Amino acid sequence: MAAAAGRVLRLGGRWSAAAPGGPGAQVLRLIYTTTAAQRKNVGASGPEKYTEAFIKKQIEEFNLGKRHLANMMGEDPETFTQEDIDRCIAYLFPSGLFDKQARPMMKHPTEIFPEQRKIQWGEDGRPFHFLFYTGKQSYYSLMHETYEKLLNVQKYQDQLTAQGLPSQKEKRNLAGGRWLTKIELEEMLLEKLSDDDYSRFIQLLEKIVTLPCGDIEEKYIQKFSIEVPVQLQKAVIEPLKYDERGVAFSTGEGTRKTARATAVVHDNGTGKITVNGIDILHYFPVLQDREQLLFPFQFLGRVGKHDMVCTVSGGGRSAQAGAIRLASANALRSFVTEKEVEFMRQAGLLTYDPRVKERKKPGQEGARRKFTWKKR
Amino acid sequence: RLTQVRWSRYNPSYIEPEVSKELYEKPWEELSEEEKEKLELKAVRPVKAAPATVSSSVFSDPMISKFTNMMMKDGNKVLARSLMAQTLEAIKRTQLEKYHKAPEDEKEKIECNPYIIFHQALKNCQPIIGLSSITKGGKTYQVPVPLKDNRKRFLAMKWLITECRENKNRRMLMPEKLSQELLQAFNNEGPIIKKKHVLHKMAEANRAYAHFRWW
Repeated sequence: MAAAAGRVLRLGGRWSAAAPGGPGAQVLRLIYTTTAAQRKNVGASGPEKYTEAFIKKQIEEFNLGKRHLANMMGEDPETFTQEDIDRCIAYLFPSGLFDKQARPMMKHPTEIFPEQRKIQWGEDGRPFHFLFYTGKQSYYSLMHETYEKLLNVQKYQDQLTAQGLPSQKEKRNLAGGRWLTKIELEEMLLEKLSDDDYSRFIQLLEKIVTLPCGDIEEKYIQKFSIEVPVQLQKAVIEPLKYDERGVAFSTGEGTRKTARATAVVHDNGTGKITVNGIDILHYFPVLQDREQLLFPFQFLGRVGKHDMVCTVSGGGRSAQAGAIRLASANALRSFVTEKEVEFMRQAGLLTYDPRVKERKKPGQEGARRKFTWKKR
Repeated sequence: RLTQVRWSRYNPSYIEPEVSKELYEKPWEELSEEEKEKLELKAVRPVKAAPATVSSSVFSDPMISKFTNMMMKDGNKVLARSLMAQTLEAIKRTQLEKYHKAPEDEKEKIECNPYIIFHQALKNCQPIIGLSSITKGGKTYQVPVPLKDNRKRFLAMKWLITECRENKNRRMLMPEKLSQELLQAFNNEGPIIKKKHVLHKMAEANRAYAHFRWW
């Protein structure tokens, strides 16, 4: 039982097993395939590495192993989903490795062994596809198809103008989608593409989209575009709080590099700003930092109207200023209309700045600087 | 290569922030088509954080920040910024002196705003055409080549700074020398304008090789 589960287990996507397919060769030879970071299209490079029979056998073993695992964990083998498998494997083989791909995983063989091109010629040696001798048959056939669609659209447009009807242009949601990346296109076509080929294809697609009657071929084009999910997390804006004197105030937090800041912005103020109990003129002697502190107020036009008390710790001079800027911008959201919050976001006041010091790499003197090159 | 060299901590879908207040004060109807499309795009995409050098106040100027960064040595932004401020002050002082000494009819022609002087001086220093070395048939030729805007600005600023650092007396401070150079460039005189003219003449002399350019 453990042996069955062990055979199906794969240590991430890096090491894959290949059965040479010879008689009685049960030994699993480990081959090093490309890592996720390099993302080379294994399917397109070279002839088949795994036969169909091998894949079928792996699928059967996987299903068998799944049922064994369900039995082991005391769950129902019939309704055992992939999430359950992941959970059980994480329980049985806990791993502290940082790279998720390096941890033990048990997935369906189609996810582990990438798709491959089948053999493209028959027994008599004659290739199946008419564009085989171009070298990139799927790419060129795709270009031919797309160009055909373009010609269709132009013909339809000519027909409309001949009949005198106006060509409707419905605005496509520009912001909602992106084209497939080169790697995704390579995976779709199972062929290696050059950057030039890829850019030509994208130019053709853009040409169809920009034509007024391009919506006819919408379905075909949707195959090559991915909807970017609009997940602008609408952060909850807290309502204003009122302290003992009846003055409205709100709090905000901000971080930058290693500095953490909290700001309390009071209404009906004179524009006084205090940091860690010290006035900003004494705490930030540099003009640039004070400019940054006043940036959100100046942007909203409320320079002399609010008082601010903040606490900040960690980081350096500039990091503390940036942290307080973010904290005050977050606090000001409660005082201001939604439209102005959107303006603040577009001005870059409400985003956390992820830039940190880059690590030093071995073999180099710093993060980017290399050692002096000596000829001998 | 395992990782790309040009990468940033932001996701590539993040857009540059737009800091100037004027764009946000325009009402919806006055915007042109392109601006409306841009706004729609911005509403959907996440935005990068504004850098620490940029602010929406009237005093922050991208050209001045760029120049300050180029003047900076070893990351000492405080010193560079103070030098810049002293330069602008020195320009203002000299111009005010000239203004008060000038007769009534010439008073209007004297420009007192140091920012305008700075921008105009930089514009006057920018070369239009540059030289690029192209190797053909074993020999390297200096081929005249049109320059991009960024490159022009960079060259103007670089010439200004190197000129001020090298050709000055031992005792003269940087702001004083810089203000002198800027005023000279504003009036289209001075060593930097001369350098620009020399570059133009070289480009004119090498006109014959212009066809070597393939871009």
